[in-house]
Amino acid sequence: MGRLTAAATELPVPKPSAVAAAVAPLAAIPVLQEPGVPFIEIEALRAKEFIPAAKEALSSMIAEQGQSKLIRPMFNWASRNSLFPLHWGLACCAIEFAAAFGARWDAERFGVVPRSSPRQCDLLIVNGTVTWKVAHKLITLYEQMPEPKWVIAMGNCATGGGPFRTAYSVVPGVDKLVPVDVYIAGCPPRPEALLDGILRLEQLIRERKE
Amino acid sequence: MQPEDLSRLLAPKLGDRLRGVEPFVGTAGRVLFDRAGALDLFRAVHDELGFTHLSMVGGIDWVDHREVFYVVWSDAARQYAILSTDVPADDPRVESASPVWPSANWHERETWEMVDVTFDHHPDIRHLLMPDGYTFHPLLRSFKLHEPEELEVKTRHV
Repeated sequence: MGRLTAAATELPVPKPSAVAAAVAPLAAIPVLQEPGVPFIEIEALRAKEFIPAAKEALSSMIAEQGQSKLIRPMFNWASRNSLFPLHWGLACCAIEFAAAFGARWDAERFGVVPRSSPRQCDLLIVNGTVTWKVAHKLITLYEQMPEPKWVIAMGNCATGGGPFRTAYSVVPGVDKLVPVDVYIAGCPPRPEALLDGILRLEQLIRERKE
Repeated sequence: MQPEDLSRLLAPKLGDRLRGVEPFVGTAGRVLFDRAGALDLFRAVHDELGFTHLSMVGGIDWVDHREVFYVVWSDAARQYAILSTDVPADDPRVESASPVWPSANWHERETWEMVDVTFDHHPDIRHLLMPDGYTFHPLLRSFKLHEPEELEVKTRHV
């Protein structure tokens, strides 16, 4: 929206008739007749004219099509393209986790940027063996993350305890503690597998309704 | 330093609470002592024999009794020594070495939670490797590996 506005101000002054058509009441703004595709055709507008016109167009579209139909896809689009995982390594899967963000696999091209504070994260990648000693810290970190949030169980240990499933100190699967959206198998999974899991999570987010 | 030296130096301090000193590969010797003389032995070994560094404390469950051992190191002699005592399984209790070697603190916490040996006068006896409220002692021979669900029920929300 900002770019549109800036471009509009730099345009040469339109003819008076064009300005009159653009600031005409909303019913006069031509809307493409493709069903279900919200689109406003806005010609050259000055900034002070554009913002109220866009507001009015958006509100009328929301009134016509329902809020969730318009807003939800936008939120899902923003969420899935800016997944911020928590920078939290537990065991050897963390090495693959780190490699996935290195130069070779470069998960950042999917908008996945590890952050160091759970307050800035919406994705918890549990990469390693979770012991009972660290279980309540994991729950604390999960609860510190703002909604909406997702969890990926990376590797066999986080998925089901792995080779330590019957050990006295290991949580047999991190889904005993927090809800898990995507499980990635492997011991450890290669970075490609982690990227595949992230892309599948993005697919889940794309289909999110609620 | 040889086992005979250890025996000669420690016998006047401990009397019959010194059960014997036997050779042990790579060390100055393995001192077997009665747990009643634990603190006297620790002080003698630390102050007079010069074993100023406690390398580790461990416990073994021999089913009919339990063994607690201390591995100490002397900078002057450049040698290890092992101090070992047996405690009965129905009263596993020994004096803490923390007043003599402060590094015994965490080792004794681990020994307590793994093989259930109580250390008297320990300054801070808490779980070290397991969460608070964990009721098992996993390195005891009587400990059975649990089904994960059973363990979960017993240790959740502690």
